[in-house]
Amino acid sequence: MEIAFYLSGLVAVLATLGVITHLNPVHAVLYLIVSLLAVAMVFFALGAPFAGALEIIIYAGAIMVLFVFVVMMLNLGERVVARERAWLRPRTWLGPALLAALLLVVLVAGVWRGEFGAVIAGEPLTAKAVGTTLFGPWLVGVELAALLLLAALVTASHVGRLPARPGERRP
Amino acid sequence: MSATQLLALTPLAILGATALAVMLGIAWRRHHAATALVTVTGLALALAALPLAWRLAPSQTPLLVVDGPAVFAAALVLVAALVCASLAHGYLEAEREPREEFYLLLLCAAAGGVVLGASRHLASLFLGLELLSMPLYGMLAYAYHRPRSLEAGIKYLLLSAAATAFLLFGMALLYAETGRLALAELASALGETAGPWGLAGLGLMLVGLGFKLSVVPFHLWTPDVYEGGPGPAATFLATAGKVAVFVVLLRLVIATPAFRGEAAGLVLAALALASMLVGNLLALRQANLKRLLGYSSIAHFGYLLVVLAVADGLAMESGGVYLVTYLVTTLAAFGVVTLVSTPQGGEDAGALHHYRGLFWRHPYLAGVLTVSLLSLAGIPFTAGFVGKFYVLALGVEAGRWWLVGGVVLGSAIGLYYYLRVMVTLYLVEPGMRRRDVAEDWGLGAGGVVVMGLALATLLLGIYPAPMIAWVREAGRLIGG
Repeated sequence: MEIAFYLSGLVAVLATLGVITHLNPVHAVLYLIVSLLAVAMVFFALGAPFAGALEIIIYAGAIMVLFVFVVMMLNLGERVVARERAWLRPRTWLGPALLAALLLVVLVAGVWRGEFGAVIAGEPLTAKAVGTTLFGPWLVGVELAALLLLAALVTASHVGRLPARPGERRP
Repeated sequence: MSATQLLALTPLAILGATALAVMLGIAWRRHHAATALVTVTGLALALAALPLAWRLAPSQTPLLVVDGPAVFAAALVLVAALVCASLAHGYLEAEREPREEFYLLLLCAAAGGVVLGASRHLASLFLGLELLSMPLYGMLAYAYHRPRSLEAGIKYLLLSAAATAFLLFGMALLYAETGRLALAELASALGETAGPWGLAGLGLMLVGLGFKLSVVPFHLWTPDVYEGGPGPAATFLATAGKVAVFVVLLRLVIATPAFRGEAAGLVLAALALASMLVGNLLALRQANLKRLLGYSSIAHFGYLLVVLAVADGLAMESGGVYLVTYLVTTLAAFGVVTLVSTPQGGEDAGALHHYRGLFWRHPYLAGVLTVSLLSLAGIPFTAGFVGKFYVLALGVEAGRWWLVGGVVLGSAIGLYYYLRVMVTLYLVEPGMRRRDVAEDWGLGAGGVVVMGLALATLLLGIYPAPMIAWVREAGRLIGG
C-alpha cells in the first residue's frame, strides 16, 4: 500500500504542476482531474475508501465536468493561450515558487529526521461505518447541513434573479 | 436518540418545520402576509417550547446540549427573530417583489443561532455558525437592486468566508493536537497549558469568532454592512447574530482552562481594550445613525470581552445580563431606524439629518430612540446601566484596573455621541428634505413591538431582579 501512496502522491503533485503551467485552460482542467483522481488514490491507500469514492464522484466527476463544460462553452482560443503565455513570466511565478520550495525543504527535512516508525496504518473506514455514524448519532448534523444548503440555495436563487422591470409581475 | 433528548430539541424541530412550511408555501402560492404570519407563529411556538426544554435540561446528544446557556441563547435569538419578522413585514411591503424568501432565510438563521448556542462539539459549532451566517448573506443582499445592499451582502460573504477559514484551520490544529472534537473532551485533553499547537488552534478559533463579533482588529466590515443591509437584516445581524456567537465563545472560554492562562488572558484583555476605545473613538464623528450603531456595537462587545478576560466568579451571570440588556436596547434602536426607513423604499434612512426634529413630528418614536440611546450609553434607570454595572463590578472584583479604566473611558466617550444624536432628535426642524415614518406607524406590528421594547428597556433598568434570577439559573444549569 505504501508504494501506491507515494506513487499517487507523486502523480498528484506533478499533475497540479501541470495545472499551473499549462497555457490552454482545457488542458489545465484535464490535469486538475488527474490530480483529483490521484488524491482519491491517496485516500484509498490510507484506508479511507469512502472518502476516496466521494472525491472521485463529487470532485473529479461532478464539479470538474462542470468546469470542462464552462471552459468549452466560453470557447477560449489562441488569444487566451497567448495571454496566458504573456502572464506566465518568471517575475510572477518565481516568488510563490520559492516560498513553496522552502515549505518543501522543511517538509523533506522533517520527514528525513523524523521517526521512521510513523508508517501508514489504521483500520479501513468503510462506507457502512461512515453511514451508521452519520445517520445515527450525527443525524442532527445531517439535518442541519440540509437546512444550510436550503438557505444557500434560496440566497443564490434570490440574488441571481434578474431585476423585475417596472410594471412587470414575476411569477 | 431517546425520547427525552428529542423532546429537548423541540424548539429546533419547530423552527426547521416552519422553514419547510414557508418554503412549500412559497412554492405553492406567494402571499406576503400569510408567510409573515406563519413565520411569526412558528417562532412564537418555538419560544413557547423553550420552557419544556428548560425542564429537561441538561440533556445532551453527541452534537448538541440543551442546558441553561443553550436555552438562554435560544430565547434571545428567538425574541430577536420575532422582532425582525414583525419589522420585516412593514419594511418589505414597500419593497419590490419577491418578499417571501426573507422569512425563510430568517427562520434558517434563527435555527443556526439556536444550534450555535447549544453546540458541544466542534462540528455543531461550525454547522451552527454557517447556518447563522449563510442566510444572513442573502438577507443583507436582499434588496439587491440597491448597490449598497448588494455591497453589504458581498462584503459580509467574502470576509466571513475568510474568517471561517481561520476557524476551520484552528479546529484542524486542535484536532491534530488532541484527536478530540467534543468541546469538553477537547478542553480536558488540552490541559492547563495547551502547548504551542493547541494555543495556535485556540487563537485561530478566536480570530474566526472575533470576526463575527466584530471585535477590533476584525471590525472593518461592521459599519459598511450595517449601513448597507436592509433594516430588518441589519437588526438581526446586530442582535441575534452576535449574541449566539458570544454565548458559544463564553461556553468555550469557561470550559477551557487553557483560555485562562496568562498569554490567552492578555490577548483577550487587549482585544477588549482595543474594541472599547477604537469603537467609541470611531463613532465620534459619524453622521450616519446606522454606522454609529455599528461602531457602538463594536464598543459594546469590547465591554463584553471583559467578561471573557476575567472568566471566573460572576462571569457567566455578567455576560448573560449584559447580553439581555444589549439585545433589548439594540433591537429598539434598530427598530426605529427600520421604521423610519420603511415607507419610501430606496436606501435606508441612515443619515442623521433624517432624524432631525423627529420629536416634533412623532414624539413617541423619538421617545423610543431616546430611551434606547440612553440605555446604550448606560444611564441609570435603563437596562444598559444594569449590564454596565455588572461588567464594572466584575472588573473591580478581579482587580483588572486597566479594563475597568477602559470601560469608564469608553462610556464617557460614548455618552458624547449618543447625546449628540439625542439633541438632533429635539432640534426644531429646518425645511430640509427628509424621510419620515408613515403616519399610522404605531398601529403596525413593528410600531407595537418597538414601543414594547422601549418599555422593556425601562422596566429592566428599574426592576432587573427577575431577569437576573433567570440568568443566574441559566448559568447554573450548565451541561458538558
